[in-house]
Order: sequence, then C-alpha cells, then structure tokens
Amino acid sequence: MALPIPREWVGLQQFPAATQTKLHELLGKLKEEDVSTLTILVMGKGGVGKSSTVNSIVGERVTTVNAFQSEGLRPMMCSRSRAGFTLNIIDTPGLIEGGYINEQAVDIIKRFLLGKTIDVLLYVDRLDAYRMDTLDEQVIRAITNSFGKDIWRRSLVVLTHAQLSPPDGIDYNDFFTRRSEALLRYIRSGAGINKREYGDFPLPIALVENSGRCKANEHGEKILPDGTPWVPNLMKEITVVISNGSKPIHVDQKLIDGPNPNNRWKMFIPLILAVEYFLVVKGIGRAIHADIANGKVDDWEQRYRDLVGSRDPVEQKGSTFRNRKA
Amino acid sequence: MASPIPREWVGLQQFPAATQTKLHELLGKLKEEDVSTLTILVMGKGGVGKSSTVNSIVGERVTTVSAFQSEGLRPMMCSRTRAGFTLNIIDTPGLIEGGYINEQAVDIIKRFLLGKTIDVLLYVDRLDAYRMDTLDEQVIRAITNSFGKDIWRRSLVVLTHAQLSPPDGIDYNDFFTRRSEALLRYIRSGAGINKREYGDFPLPIALVENSGRCKANEHGEKILPDGTLWVPNLMKEITVVISNGSKPIHVDQKLIDGPNPNNRWKMFIPLILAVEYFLVVKGIRRAIHQDIANGKVDDWEQRYRDLVGSRDPVEQKGSTSRNRKA
Repeated sequence: MALPIPREWVGLQQFPAATQTKLHELLGKLKEEDVSTLTILVMGKGGVGKSSTVNSIVGERVTTVNAFQSEGLRPMMCSRSRAGFTLNIIDTPGLIEGGYINEQAVDIIKRFLLGKTIDVLLYVDRLDAYRMDTLDEQVIRAITNSFGKDIWRRSLVVLTHAQLSPPDGIDYNDFFTRRSEALLRYIRSGAGINKREYGDFPLPIALVENSGRCKANEHGEKILPDGTPWVPNLMKEITVVISNGSKPIHVDQKLIDGPNPNNRWKMFIPLILAVEYFLVVKGIGRAIHADIANGKVDDWEQRYRDLVGSRDPVEQKGSTFRNRKA
Repeated sequence: MASPIPREWVGLQQFPAATQTKLHELLGKLKEEDVSTLTILVMGKGGVGKSSTVNSIVGERVTTVSAFQSEGLRPMMCSRTRAGFTLNIIDTPGLIEGGYINEQAVDIIKRFLLGKTIDVLLYVDRLDAYRMDTLDEQVIRAITNSFGKDIWRRSLVVLTHAQLSPPDGIDYNDFFTRRSEALLRYIRSGAGINKREYGDFPLPIALVENSGRCKANEHGEKILPDGTLWVPNLMKEITVVISNGSKPIHVDQKLIDGPNPNNRWKMFIPLILAVEYFLVVKGIRRAIHQDIANGKVDDWEQRYRDLVGSRDPVEQKGSTSRNRKA
C-alpha cells in the first residue's frame, strides 16, 4: 500500500486541552532528540483492541473495529504530521485465525513492512482475560520469528479494557499485577528471553480504555481507575521505549528470511563425506570382496560347479573363481 | 467423591424475598411433575465463570473461584435439599488446558459421573468474548464424544459477565444476538447437529452476572441490563429444559465407552475373507503354478540343466521338472 502524504494530525484536537498540552510537550522532547518520525507497529491476537487503540491514538476513526468478525487480512498504515513531526501507526490483522497462527497474515505483514523501520512495537492484549494458553505463546513466537528477538527491546505491552471491574474478592491492583505477571511470563517464554536478559528487555505495560464509557477527570481527560490520564501516559511510555538505548528494527529481506537453515552445520560436510568414504564405502567394499573370496555361492551354482568340476575341465565356466579356492 | 448427605439449601435464604418466592414456585411446579431431584452438570472452557455460577445458584461459596489459575482437576458435586426437593450441582474443571483439550480432565469427569443421571447440562461461556475458535469447537466436541449427542437436547447455554458494556457503536441486544449466533453455530458444528435437527435441539440461552457489582432492582434482586431477574430466570430456563420432552442422560459404562469401533463393518468380515480366498489366495497359487509350468529358472539352474541335460541321464537331478517340459 503506497504511503499517503501524511495528513495533518487533526485528531490531536479531539483531545481535551490538558491532554493536548502534554502531548505537545512529549513531541517537543522528541524533536529535541532529533526524532521527527515515529513508526509504531501494533500487533496481537484478534479481538483484543488493536484497531480501537489505533483510533484512540490518532483521534479519528481510521480503522474499522469489528466486534465479531475477524479483521481483513491487510495491514494498514496511518500517517499524521504535526509541527514537523510525523507519526506512522501500522494496524495489523490478528495473527490467530480459528485457533492457529494465520501464516498468510504473517507473510502479508512482513511484506508490508519491508524497507520500513519500526520504532516501537505495541503488543496488545485484554486486561480482562482470565486464562492464557499456547495460542498466546504462538503469537509471540510468530512475532519473534518474523522480526527477531530484538523487537522486544522496543516493545510496549498495551492492556485494553482497562476500566475493568475485577472479579469479587480481588482488587484492581492485584488483578493487574497477576495479569501482567502471566503475560510477561508468556512473552519471555515465546521470545526466548532467559533470566539473565530480563534487564535488557524491560517490557513496560500501558493500560488503555478505548470505549466511550471511559471515565474522565475534571479536565475531560479519559482516565484509568486510578485517575491516570491514559492517553498521555501511553505516549509517554512510547517515548520511554525509544529512549531506552536500543536500536529501532529495520525490516530488510535478511531479517524477514531469518537465519538460513542451510547454513547450520555446513562446515561439517567435508568431515561427514570423509567418514562416509573411509568407513562406510570402503567397509562395504571390503565386505563384498571378502564374500566373493570366501566363495559363497547359491545352490544351483554349487550344483553346477560340482557337476562341471568333476567332469570336463574344458567347459569349466567360472574357472577363475575356483582357481582362487585354496 | 462420595455424595455427601444433602444439606439444607440454606443458600436460598441469601436471595431477596421476591426471588425466594419465585424459586419456591418453580420447585413446586417440579414436584407436581414428580420431579424431586435435579442433577445439573456445569461444563465449559476454563475461566468462563462455571464455579461463580455454581456459587450463585447454591447461594453459598461452595467452590473456589480462581481468577488466574486453572482450576483443580477434580469435579465437585454439591447437593442441597429443600422441602423434599434435592438439587445436585456438579462443577467441573475447564476442559482446555494450555491450548489443548485436557484428556485427563475429561476422563476424570466421566468416571465421576458414572452411574449418575444428568438432568441438565449448563454449557458456560462469557458474553464478553469477541472471537471464537477451534478451542471452543474442541470443548463442544469433547462433551459430545463423552456423553453423546443427545446431551445437547438437555442443555442450557449460560453466558456470564452479562452486565456487559458493549463496544462502541453496537447496542447490548445486537451484541447479544451476534454473540449467541456465533456460539450456537459452534455448538451445532461441534455436536454434529445438522439443519434438519435444529428444532430438536433448542439450545436456549440464559444470561447471568455473578459479580457483586450486579445491579439490583427495588427488591434487591439482581437484574440484567434489561431489568430481568437473572436468578429466577436461570432456574426457569432449567425447568423448561427438563420439560421439553427429551430424556435425561444416564451415564453408564456403555455411554462412556462410546460406540465400539470394533463393531463397525463387522458384518463384512466373512465377505472380505471370501474375496481374499477366491481372488487373492487362489490367484497367486495359480500364478505360481504357471510359473513352474513355464519353467522359469534362474541362471545357475539353467546352466546346470544345460550341462546335465546333455550328459548323464542317470544323474539328472530335477528330472521330473524337465519331463514336464513339453
């Protein structure tokens, strides 16, 4: 899909004045650090709120939100600029289709991203999910296999439906803690992040509530149950990720193809060939010659020889063999 | 687990007076129809609200609700009596473990139910789930394989988290309609119910809201967003199921074992043996005899014969075979 000329980020004006101020501050800080473009990739299972989150960030309804149907197969990039700063957000189809990773979707996403540089990955899931399973792990693994483990250094975990009423007997913070722990465990497992590396992969978490029912403070800013205005908080967490010292992920063909499986153990080929020749080929050759020398013959050949051997030396067929006999 | 002597259904008193009245009416109707026992089996994926629903019906905290951990592996039956009527509710572990059907849980549930009669199956799922996938189908299929397709004639679908705020742009009833349609489609598919049979498998749906946040009417009765009292409504739907003309499911060894795969096509065995004998065995024998008659021999035997044939008739080995030659 061709890059549209970035439009003015009019969606900014949707936000209450207080939020706009904070966002402008953040944009200012980015420009001080010479960052004038931000490319955000949004991925996750289906039905978790990826498109809703994109719409919330941009401030316009740029993608269709489908409560029940699977999204279309096409990733979509939305670009907006403001005061010299360009924001690119890439919404993607959910990677799980009918219980399995949708390999076609993974391919389409990879091809869409070829040549682009990902500054931040938003990994989106629901706060109000009570169980995690291998499907979650498969999504995380698919992301890791597609873009490399380093993408998780540039990731922010986004939990939607943040205006959750927790189940009876557990308060919001406990619920959030246990939900996050479970999710981080799965991410580390699926991305292959071992204990020693935990510090290199911070995996911060941002809560969002995309629905119109989200409560607001006296300035009209949408807030989380603890009073945090979540839109500026989300953008702040994004800026923290891009300043954490890691490199953006440039998506080139090599990254997409991944390590060439044909290169594994390639250096052992001459050794294996040598073993094959000296041990196997020669060994079998020796065994065959030994058999011939021992003169193992089948029944009819034996009868023939017996007959011929005791009769006519002139017509001895195979006489060379018998001469070898001791 | 041995059936405890049914305790008094004290939980009934937890309900507001208005609800208790309605429940007593329903119990009365059941006794008029000579039903003095009701065995309810509660099944579904993990984390959907099975244990919460059981606690709500009984009116006591009889099972532990775990927001994050998988339930224990053991089914649990809770029995309560009131005015000569006995209610048995069987809570089961979720059938999905880590993305796959937990066959061990299925086995344990079957063994637990051996000898019992199931009056109603409550198939529980969340109202606020936005995607269905093969895991749902597998759960439904596992239930069907364990207890037979007819269990779905005695089923009530229970959707929890009914006090849902629907996503933006879709109202509660639309959401409920589409959610139910998707779920019924999966149940029919997993249970093998074809179009002609839709009428025999009514699959009614009851909404429940188990949390303490559930809104209440002026009598203190817990209500759904449309004002329906969901506890009496759930019990009413249960009585509708048991009066719909279908038979309760008695769980015996035969039902659990399922159709014996060894019985399929058994009647064809004599026919197949006959075909084997007349076509195959005899045919091969004929071919062997023909080969012998045609005198195909290998090289050494041929040389031997050539030699012997032109020499000494006395020492002719195998002369009988050569005599057969025309």
